[in-house]
Amino acid sequence: MNLKSLIEPLASLRLTVFILSAGMFLTLAGTLAQVENGIWTVVDDYFRSIAVWVPFQLFFPEKLLKIPGAIPFPGGLTLGVLLFINLTAAFIIRFTWSTKRIGVILSHAGVILLLVGEFVTGIAADEGNMTIEEGKSANFIEDIRESELAIVDPSDPTSDRVVVVPQGMLASTPSISDPRLPFTIEVLEWMPNSGLLGPMQATKAQLDRADSGVGKQIAAVRIPEATGVDGATVDVPSAYIKVMNEGKSLGTYLVSVGLVSSQPISVGGKSYDVSLRFRRTYKPYTLSLIDFRHDRFVGTNTPRNFSSLVRLQDPARNVDREVLIYMNNPLRHAGETFYQSSFKPGDTTTILQVVRNPGWLLPYFSCGLVTIGLLIHFGVRLAAPIKRNVK
Amino acid sequence: MNFVKSRLPWIVAGLCLLYVLSLPFRHIKSEAKEDVETLGRLPVLADGRVKPLDSFARTTLLTISGKQTLTVDEPATGDVKAHARQIPAIEWYLEMLANPDRADDRRVFRIDHPELVSMLGVTDTKQIRFSLKEISPHLDKIEEQANRAQEIPRREQDLFQRSVLDLFNKLMTYQEVRLGRAPFTIAPMTQGEEWQPLAAILSNPQLQQQESTQAIVSLLFAAKESKPEDFNSTVSAYAKRLDDVLPKETRLAHAEEIFNIAQPFSHTAALYVLAFILACFGFLTRTGGASDWSRALARSAFLVIVLAFAVHTIGIAARVYLQGRPPVTNLYSSAIFIGWACIPLAVAAEWFARLGIGNAVASLIGFATLIVAHNLSTGGDTMQMMQAVLDSNFWLATHVVVITIGYSATFLGGFIAAGYLIFGTLTKRLGQDALTALPKMIYGVTCFACLTSFVGTVLGGIWADQSWGRFWGWDPKENGAALIVFIHLIILHARFGGMIKHRGMAVLAVFGNIVTAWSWFGTNMLGVGLHSYGFMDSAVFYLLAFAATQLAIMCLGFIPVARWKSIRAAETTPTTPGNALASPQT
Repeated sequence: MNLKSLIEPLASLRLTVFILSAGMFLTLAGTLAQVENGIWTVVDDYFRSIAVWVPFQLFFPEKLLKIPGAIPFPGGLTLGVLLFINLTAAFIIRFTWSTKRIGVILSHAGVILLLVGEFVTGIAADEGNMTIEEGKSANFIEDIRESELAIVDPSDPTSDRVVVVPQGMLASTPSISDPRLPFTIEVLEWMPNSGLLGPMQATKAQLDRADSGVGKQIAAVRIPEATGVDGATVDVPSAYIKVMNEGKSLGTYLVSVGLVSSQPISVGGKSYDVSLRFRRTYKPYTLSLIDFRHDRFVGTNTPRNFSSLVRLQDPARNVDREVLIYMNNPLRHAGETFYQSSFKPGDTTTILQVVRNPGWLLPYFSCGLVTIGLLIHFGVRLAAPIKRNVK
Repeated sequence: MNFVKSRLPWIVAGLCLLYVLSLPFRHIKSEAKEDVETLGRLPVLADGRVKPLDSFARTTLLTISGKQTLTVDEPATGDVKAHARQIPAIEWYLEMLANPDRADDRRVFRIDHPELVSMLGVTDTKQIRFSLKEISPHLDKIEEQANRAQEIPRREQDLFQRSVLDLFNKLMTYQEVRLGRAPFTIAPMTQGEEWQPLAAILSNPQLQQQESTQAIVSLLFAAKESKPEDFNSTVSAYAKRLDDVLPKETRLAHAEEIFNIAQPFSHTAALYVLAFILACFGFLTRTGGASDWSRALARSAFLVIVLAFAVHTIGIAARVYLQGRPPVTNLYSSAIFIGWACIPLAVAAEWFARLGIGNAVASLIGFATLIVAHNLSTGGDTMQMMQAVLDSNFWLATHVVVITIGYSATFLGGFIAAGYLIFGTLTKRLGQDALTALPKMIYGVTCFACLTSFVGTVLGGIWADQSWGRFWGWDPKENGAALIVFIHLIILHARFGGMIKHRGMAVLAVFGNIVTAWSWFGTNMLGVGLHSYGFMDSAVFYLLAFAATQLAIMCLGFIPVARWKSIRAAETTPTTPGNALASPQT
């Protein structure tokens, strides 16, 4: 038993066709799943997973036919790794290095690069939003896919002391305590996505759920999570929390990412600011928004362009300059890229998307390799019949 | 007989050429005494771009009534019998502003839903268009229903609710025009002035002093008081003034007006139908191989396709010139482009094989995609401005064009494969030459489709990386594009590995049609809401019907080779093997 006979089955074209067919099915299922689920849920469940249960219901409209059950299916990670093995094995034993095969070799090398690129993106890429008002600055990015409960102790004038409860804990732990906090937090209801109702819209019962803070005027109701086909809709998590101190209630509060300001809670003469916010990551640099522009086509609401003039300050790198960020023209700084993503109503607050992806250049190389490879390969194959036909 | 056979292609081509050359002169003339043609050429601003007033009138009438002209029944007067008369959109527009009372009597609102029709108290089930005066007594009910419908997500609305909303939007559009809020007719004549709607003069008295305001207002008064001489002298003087002040806008508006009159795509569609019929007859006159008749007909079909392609090209070039954009900017233009890109590919495939099937497939796809485009055009301006995120000529010219060519090539391969399966199994028409050549054509087209759809998809990823830092986001449209790449890779690898032969390749290529239709249209339907209205609702039905036909054709591929009629016929009448590709066309 030599190495070649071991590798041979791995390089088989039957395996290639199987992986491709399975990939097709998975892609279709992962697309249909987005009708009901959020895009990130689907990406994690289908495309970056080892295996996934694909419900039969995906393929039939629920209104016509209800079908229970699901089949297990290899996930995107499994298929990607299999394809990588298959391709590498083919490189070892199938692709002979000759000028005639150069097209095949180049294009397949390009596909390997593409797989590596997506793998690197899957494990190393991170993205978030930076929201800046005109005239103000920001030094953190927010992950709009995850929230956190922040309890800030502003008593120290030089720096705030912050205790952060991650979303996962809020959703699963009924009672949360921390030695740094003089109180415990009971999560009465956790809503992954919610709608906020003002005093005129909400019923009395809805408003009565909170007995302290802004929750007396504003109520939150649970709504379904945004789905992949909804486009760029962001979930607004909310929660009703009860703050307890030595068995006594300090009040039931509504906290929500949709609320603008934090709420004070006083314990023993000391005040803490509590808010539910998108998970923050602080950065060593600061962006200040000098001017946000949003032009529309005359007489319409169609945006013509939007751009943010920002000042980038990064003391560690000795950077202090003005940059104009606009559609299709991102700013790249310190391994991160800042894209003009959105804005808030009123046109004075910009939302930048901040992405760190060490593998971002790989698809560019991959595209080039595959294009050249396929052009050579098909060019060579086409040349023969053309020659014959011209004769 | 031989004389006819040899001259037939040129006779057919000559007649079609005459038809094409007559296009710019054949349009519905207005019977109005006012010079509405000059009025229609005036540049105005609507949907964010400058266009001739005629374009605006056509788009608006098309959105409201489903047609670019208005048909009215003229009662008998004197010795003229009662008859139906066609009114061009621009004349209707003038009437809306100058004689709103008469305009409100015109049956322009198209309503299809029977329950909505009965809500208007109409029992005549044949009537599908209604006037404002017929609708207005029921406005309260319509508004109430529209408000109810608006409160639930688009995805959950039923057909009645969508129809009510649709009607409500049509009424709003109508009102905007009638009140002079759209389009922006008042042109900027001096520095510092901006395009303004006529309605703005009510709130801005300064505007009344403006030269263009005065011209427009006196035009309307002349029309209202039936003084055609005044109207005509004012409109021609104003048109000349605009020509001096806004030379670029006027030039573009004139060009677009010619484009509107010529309607290149509807006539191209007609030519493709003719070519398809000729190609089919050419194919049907084959008996196990090419005959004189089949050659003459194939050649005729080919010449008609060349002519249609020329008109098609001029139409696309005109849109590129008018928009200042690469050819594909929205779903409508993608439909036009898919058909167009198929033609040279099919002609190239035909050049190798010389069977006539390339002609048939090219003209069929050309026609079908233009019909799809026609149905998409009722949604509004087809040259609308680009959303900021799409505003990049570089990526529109590379990613969008390449991926659309990928769609074209996939459809071409799929339709050739469908022809191969249908005629191969059910008829004896395919001779040994066709049985050898068609799979080669399918393979060649698949290679090309694989290249373009892969490159197009990856370019799309790179564009996404440039605009929001995410090369691949797994969203429905991206996944749709990936599926097309997958099916081509499967075909090529399965064939290379000997897992499939001619039959299997043809079946998978037909499957490619379903995948492409899904990627092109199906993914837009998932999010039913943002992108879809009117045609898109019924498009779900057409998409399913298309998929069903393709599945049926794929089933033919499971008939064992030994039972294929063409193969059995070819075995009994052997031709020289291997000459299929080399046979000179004499």
